[in-house]
Amino acid sequence: MKFLAWIPFLSPMNWIQSAWYLLLIPLALGVSMIYKAMRVTDIHAYWRQVGVMTLQVVLAITGLAVGLILFVRYIIPMT
Amino acid sequence: MTGPSKRQDTHGQDSPGRSSNRPLAALLAWLLPGLGHMYLGQRFRGRMILLGTLFLVTFGVLIGGVDVVDMQRDRLWFIAQAGTGPIAFLLDLLNQALLKTASPGTQAQFTSLGNLNSTGTLYIALAGLMNVVVIIDALAGPERAHDTPGRRSTDR
Repeated sequence: MKFLAWIPFLSPMNWIQSAWYLLLIPLALGVSMIYKAMRVTDIHAYWRQVGVMTLQVVLAITGLAVGLILFVRYIIPMT
Repeated sequence: MTGPSKRQDTHGQDSPGRSSNRPLAALLAWLLPGLGHMYLGQRFRGRMILLGTLFLVTFGVLIGGVDVVDMQRDRLWFIAQAGTGPIAFLLDLLNQALLKTASPGTQAQFTSLGNLNSTGTLYIALAGLMNVVVIIDALAGPERAHDTPGRRSTDR
């Protein structure tokens, strides 16, 4: 039912509002595609390297988020 | 980095190559992401740059609607988005024509807010900033063989 009022490319994807953080994955994929197109030395390994970089970016940002959560919830209240 | 008239072969050694007009390649890269690399003979790289940029732009507009590109309201973001070239200007034109001239009710329906607007804007801004790197690479990047598998001496 949430999709009925949605007009792609015109109205925003309001139905994904509650899980907006998942949009990090295609963002990391797109940036990796462009970066690795310039940087990769063996073009046969292009897609594998794109996958590896996407995973690295997602894991790094998830790690930062977890670190920030721990800092705000546990370290700051102690001070 | 090697001189402008040399390129590296698969063993990292210099070999003579076709001299290319680098400033023209940079201009082409701004006009259509990836076109500069295609002009330099790196067709696979060019195609992947175009695919990646279109992927980010399409996803950005899909997430937040055409409202995510707005030269008047989000000027600083638009500077980054303008790196994608005419694509950003075309989207801004669409935004002005479809949303900004519509009734307040329609504007409220199609204007994205909060995280969705920020994320959609960020997608296209990152596409623009990545294309600035692509333009610099087309202008002054290392000479590469014409899509021949190999290694750059500076890479691991």
